[in-house]
Amino acid sequence: MFADSRFDYLDRVRFTFAYLSTPVYWVADIPARASSWIDDAFVSQRDLIEENAQLRQQLLFAQRELQLLAGLASENSRLRELQEASQAVQGRVIAAEIINVSNDPGSRRVLINRGAHNGVFEGQAILDAHGLMGQAVEVLPFTSWVLLITDSRHGIPVQVNRNGERAIARGSRGDAPGLELEYVPDTADIVVGDLLVSSGLGQRYPKDYPVAQVTSVYHDPGQPFALIRARPLAQMDRTRHVMLVVPDDEVIGGNSIEVIQDFPAPAPLPDRNTEAAAAEKVTPGPDLTQSNDDDSQVGAQGDL
Amino acid sequence: MGPRANGLWIIILSLLLAYLLAIVPFPDWAMHYRPQWVAMVLIYWIMALPYRVGIGAAWFAGLFMDILEGSLLGLNALSFALIAYITLSLHQRLRMFSALQQSGMILALVGLNMTLTYWIKVATEQTDAGSLLFLLGALSSAFVWPWLFVVLRQLRRGFDVR
Repeated sequence: MFADSRFDYLDRVRFTFAYLSTPVYWVADIPARASSWIDDAFVSQRDLIEENAQLRQQLLFAQRELQLLAGLASENSRLRELQEASQAVQGRVIAAEIINVSNDPGSRRVLINRGAHNGVFEGQAILDAHGLMGQAVEVLPFTSWVLLITDSRHGIPVQVNRNGERAIARGSRGDAPGLELEYVPDTADIVVGDLLVSSGLGQRYPKDYPVAQVTSVYHDPGQPFALIRARPLAQMDRTRHVMLVVPDDEVIGGNSIEVIQDFPAPAPLPDRNTEAAAAEKVTPGPDLTQSNDDDSQVGAQGDL
Repeated sequence: MGPRANGLWIIILSLLLAYLLAIVPFPDWAMHYRPQWVAMVLIYWIMALPYRVGIGAAWFAGLFMDILEGSLLGLNALSFALIAYITLSLHQRLRMFSALQQSGMILALVGLNMTLTYWIKVATEQTDAGSLLFLLGALSSAFVWPWLFVVLRQLRRGFDVR
């Protein structure tokens, strides 16, 4: 036990044994799957038609918003380019299903039906249709344990969508699932109803996903910090379908390197290269001058 | 010459069923009332067949429970081994007890098991030190025990597990 909590070489043992435990979870999930199958199989045609019409309408609305969003996204990226800021990450997602919940009342964890064989990695963010849910903490061969953001040992960096005020949302202790904002000064501009989105500062969660809505703000004169509670937007105990975010961090890396290269290095040039350098500096564009600097530096080293 | 070993698969099957019951999702409000099925089934088999199911079997059963729960490896193994030891040393008295007395013993044993795992979890920061509500699980276990006992005894006699 001590070895497991302090070192990680037992992770391999656990991973191997998990091949044995997966069938048990598969069997335990049969009632849930059977009930959803029965729901699917024994549904009247009229209900189906009604639901279909409803879904069509929702899709229509969603597509309209998507069109607006496309325009906004391109505008946003143009503005960002102007500011030379790095592009916001829009990763792909993998669909997954919750197949079990932890039987320990003291912790809030769920088991999903995607594991190492599906490319899940530790720390991967999990969403549902409404907001962030949690992160994968233990990846097994075909399943993984997800720590929900309402677990009291879990903190997620958030910011208020309205004004960018930053805070850390921690799962609340006690039985009611919720979030508490920690160490927020009394003067912070956070009011009831504010939307909290992930700030991406911890580099675990992608930026700008909705997390929670502020439900109560309490200023205790005797306490140095305000007591702020929030309700998670993700439907922790109702949803079965979740998404795993697959980040592509190449975008951030590439951009930041380019930004650094924009500054020309003020290196003293030897006599032979000054003419060539002067001739080429007439041609505009940061890339060319950059390559020119590199060449001259190589030449200088060759001289020495 | 001792009795010939028989019906190992019944023991394993009953344990597997207990594992299933232990991880079947419960609604939030009922989480604390979940009986400790695996511990109870183990106690039964140790009581009935102390020469077959002992501390080692309990340890492995606990290890599998750990893997199933995703808790620390050895957490349930340790506490199951402990209650297996206590049951082994008391099994002859336990057999003589009335159903009510047995339930009382189950309350004590399962409560001990849950307290131990809870303490270790708090010490390793796997869970919060909160209320003692988790002991409701021991209460529900004691409540379920008489029926579980009858079912398992029928199984043991019917399939002649020795």
